[in-house]
Amino acid sequence: MHYSQKVTKKLVPTGLRFLSGPKRKYPINPDLSKDLPVFQYVQSKNKYKRLFSWGNAKTGALGLKGIIDKQAEYLRSPKRVSFAEKFEVRTVAIGFGFTTFAINSDTDVKLYGTGVNTDSQIGYHAIRAGHPMEIIYYPQPISLPFKNPTTSKIIKLSAGRAHLMVLTSDEGVFLLGNNAYGQCGRKIISDENYLKSNLVHHIEDIEGKRIIDIQCGQDHSMLLAEDGSVYSSGWGADGQTGLGHFRNTEEFSRVRGDISDEKIVQLACRSDFILALNDKGETFGWGNNEYGQLSLPNEEQQLANPTSMDVINKLGKIKSVASGGSFCLAANEYGEVYTWGYGLLGLGPNVELSKKPILIPCTLFGKNDFQPNNTVVKVVCGLNYAAAVTNLGDLFTWGRNKWGCLGLGNEKDQYFPLKVSLGGSVEDVFCGIDHTVALCKPFI
Amino acid sequence: MPVLQLTLAIIKPHIIKNPISLEAIRKIIISSNFKIVRSKRKRILLDEAELFYEEHKHKFFYNRLVTFMTSGESDLHILAKENAIKDWRALMGPTKVYKAQFEAPNTIRGLYGLSDTRNATHGSDSPETAQREIKIFFPEFNCEEWLLKEEPHFRTGQVKFLNNEFLHKADC
Repeated sequence: MHYSQKVTKKLVPTGLRFLSGPKRKYPINPDLSKDLPVFQYVQSKNKYKRLFSWGNAKTGALGLKGIIDKQAEYLRSPKRVSFAEKFEVRTVAIGFGFTTFAINSDTDVKLYGTGVNTDSQIGYHAIRAGHPMEIIYYPQPISLPFKNPTTSKIIKLSAGRAHLMVLTSDEGVFLLGNNAYGQCGRKIISDENYLKSNLVHHIEDIEGKRIIDIQCGQDHSMLLAEDGSVYSSGWGADGQTGLGHFRNTEEFSRVRGDISDEKIVQLACRSDFILALNDKGETFGWGNNEYGQLSLPNEEQQLANPTSMDVINKLGKIKSVASGGSFCLAANEYGEVYTWGYGLLGLGPNVELSKKPILIPCTLFGKNDFQPNNTVVKVVCGLNYAAAVTNLGDLFTWGRNKWGCLGLGNEKDQYFPLKVSLGGSVEDVFCGIDHTVALCKPFI
Repeated sequence: MPVLQLTLAIIKPHIIKNPISLEAIRKIIISSNFKIVRSKRKRILLDEAELFYEEHKHKFFYNRLVTFMTSGESDLHILAKENAIKDWRALMGPTKVYKAQFEAPNTIRGLYGLSDTRNATHGSDSPETAQREIKIFFPEFNCEEWLLKEEPHFRTGQVKFLNNEFLHKADC
């Protein structure tokens, strides 16, 4: 007892000396500590999405800095992208070897990009002045010339082989990147150096109409106006611009043919042919038809005028269409998925060519006695592989597994739809040529 | 040892725009023991492309092919090896990429091709076409003179590799 008293007596004056001792030059006020910030670890907000990416890592398109440092060549299963924990990612677009993310922000930086940048498709980035970077390994900000950055938002992104389209809520469309075929909707300049280009082309509206949707092909672009009319620009060698000729187009022009009186609501294109969906759920197609993707009765290989696809329209009201490199997918109102064209169609190990749509059994997409209401709500095509999202938030992939782009944990080609194991409920999926990104919301 | 054969290889514009694919294809060329006799990077002009693809003039894909080849810079290489023409075509794989990726998945076209036209590389199909094609893009290259002066060095491996120019130079 005596000992501990002695100790406290000794300790108290020592501590007090630092707090209020007369000798201290700057006396400490204990109340000040209440105003000091409390250190907290970063936590993503509830509304933030979970982003997963997988596939070819060498191009830097996965947006994962860690695996570049580890010199991994590809990721065979999904990995969570930490970028989405710092920003509220609204939507994503995947090009050939690059990825762009649109975020919610009040500044003019609403867009981030990573991956191959040899055509300045994800903006001009240079560490040394005059030496732009050909590859970017993790998401970098891209500043766009917004007039009202506080009110405008990015609604949709779409990317082709080497160009990018950005659809905004109030300020039309911004186009970046390669314009060798006129895919940015501006005059073709021969010998233009796209690597050193800092040019962002802007289209406010199209013939006075607001633009509500965009879609990039590999080397051409399409706009959808609010009245359901379609405009296109770029490479037309397969008739993919749908303008009735096979030349390059340097300015967005109205696509006519069978869709001139239709109200188009969805456009799908990954390569050189297009599927369009009208408000009645009917499908139209144009462009390349070497593998019977357009289900034409004749043997025509290129189609420069949009044509109604009667074979598909017999399948019921179509809700979602997707077009890959040599095959197509369509999901109808009952959630049934049909496929046709050439390649690994998801119907077994044989590479098939079918001009007629074939039903992929619903059980392969997880419809069984335990979840009888499971239906496919969205289909997406990569160049050589396909993906489907169900209403329960599951993702299924199949097709050619280049650099593990299917995310199934292996490198083997997948012959039928198989569920990807993901730590979130899938809202949207984006497919390119060799990598994939899934935008998910947390389970809880 | 038989005389080395020459072939013209073109690395098409979409590969030039992807540094990763370009590096991989160059690695394949070197590791398959090809010697690079001449190298050139240029944007192929429309009249050159039309002359080059004369034989396809009446096919449906002619316009597609010519507009694609003139859309950006290409790498042009004269490659030398025994059986260069046959070996290079075997490395490239079938012309149609959508079919090549299943029939020959590990060829250059099966790996790096994007579509039937954007099929990564070109190679001459016979000694006569090789000579004709080299003449179009390398008018300054004299085949007979090369056979006489440089070929023995290339055949015996007395060459050094210049990485920056992607070229083998004879040690003479």
